[in-house]
Amino acid sequence: MGSTSKSLFLRSSSLTIGESICAATMIPIVAVIDFLIFATTNCFGFRPRPKKFLCGFADFTRLANESRFSVNEIEALYELFKKLSSSIIDDGSIHKEELQLALFHAPYGINLFLDRVFDLFDEKRNGVIEFDEFVHAINVFHPYSPVEDKIDFAFRLYDLRQTGFIEREEVKQMVIAILMECETTLSDDLLEEIIDKTFADADADKDGQINKEEWKAFVLRHPSLLKNMTLSHLKCVTTLFPSFVYNTGVED
Amino acid sequence: MEVFLTHNQIFKADFSCPLWFSSSAKKLIKKILDPNPLTRITISEIIENDWFKKGYMPPMFEQADVSLDDVDAIFNESGDSQNLVVERREEWSSVPATMNAFELISTSQGLNLGSLFEKQMGLVKQETRFTSKCPANEIISKIEAAAMPMGFGVKKNNYKMKLLGEKTGRKGHLAVTTEIFQVAPSLCMVEVRKSKGDTLEFHTFYNNLSTGLKDIVWKTTDVEKDGSAAGPSPRR
Repeated sequence: MGSTSKSLFLRSSSLTIGESICAATMIPIVAVIDFLIFATTNCFGFRPRPKKFLCGFADFTRLANESRFSVNEIEALYELFKKLSSSIIDDGSIHKEELQLALFHAPYGINLFLDRVFDLFDEKRNGVIEFDEFVHAINVFHPYSPVEDKIDFAFRLYDLRQTGFIEREEVKQMVIAILMECETTLSDDLLEEIIDKTFADADADKDGQINKEEWKAFVLRHPSLLKNMTLSHLKCVTTLFPSFVYNTGVED
Repeated sequence: MEVFLTHNQIFKADFSCPLWFSSSAKKLIKKILDPNPLTRITISEIIENDWFKKGYMPPMFEQADVSLDDVDAIFNESGDSQNLVVERREEWSSVPATMNAFELISTSQGLNLGSLFEKQMGLVKQETRFTSKCPANEIISKIEAAAMPMGFGVKKNNYKMKLLGEKTGRKGHLAVTTEIFQVAPSLCMVEVRKSKGDTLEFHTFYNNLSTGLKDIVWKTTDVEKDGSAAGPSPRR
């Protein structure tokens, strides 16, 4: 094979039939080998995978129209998104480990709340968070976003099994989870006591679960419950991520 | 795209809007960029403008920092407020504020997405919290005992304490508020947040304070994985 290819190079002018046949077989083989190398090195991350980045200014405009953000802010969010989505696997979307790394500074471990947040961001349910999903979800956390959206988002976060109700069991699971995060435990009696008190306050019809309406009323009585549903950072996102300035398609 | 305007252009309001601007947006901008202050649109008129009003939500100012007026009112020496100032130790007649299950749950790191921004920008948190199995009174005394030798004046009101640094730092005096919540009869959540001053100084303060509090802290909500913290440390 080697000598054949050498002869191909040496005689750059017209090829004999034999050489054409060699070329015809060699080139596809080289192409196949090249493809295999490409495919396998992808697995080992030697080459960046084709990125699924939005490149269009039109996409930014569309997202700006669908949200409370200006086009400049969308561009800044895109800078953040790029950083988050390339932290472990550089493929233009945020994987669960990357979200975990960003929130917990470690890409491993089991966390109930991380799962819920990831689920709510992943509208399309394809296992990764793409930029438009990111914008849609983070939009709820904007300080000027309607309170109803925040109340609804929080309800869906806490409705672990997505039954449309926050059941007592789910609350217990979540309390155990936060205590684990605090590296603390409580006896079952004390756990039940906490939940009893909360349900006495929240569960108006006493059916052992909290429905949307009860949740709304409960939150309005305890506004601090929505504190984590607003990110004041979003008001100054363009100053936090200024690198977009060089790429912006929008005049200031 | 940088846009350079000459003085003439500014005085004559000689500008053009990008093509995708709606006509109502363009009209509003024209009224705002009116060089004549007498005919220029006013803020109240802007708020009334149709295009502006579309999807407009009047700003809700959430308190990023503890409002000092709020804390000051509680500690007001004039005696007008319902809760009397206490700088001398007294019997506590009231109990700490309670934290219900959802308030507790919402303190999870997984549910506080601010970290997404803070980590990227190297910002540090202005508040932190830890849990303790000691009774609230004991926590108060321990915090006070740890803070005073560090040069912090302590003002207490029920289960909310204000610690004021005597030394002036980079951004004035460091003021820290601590608040204790009762989660369960044997479990308290203590919130420590900076209300004034430099955040990095707050971090140093907290690190020093936590060595003094080692025996009352059960575990914190944010143990650093770098192995250096055996006890509480503020989130980065």
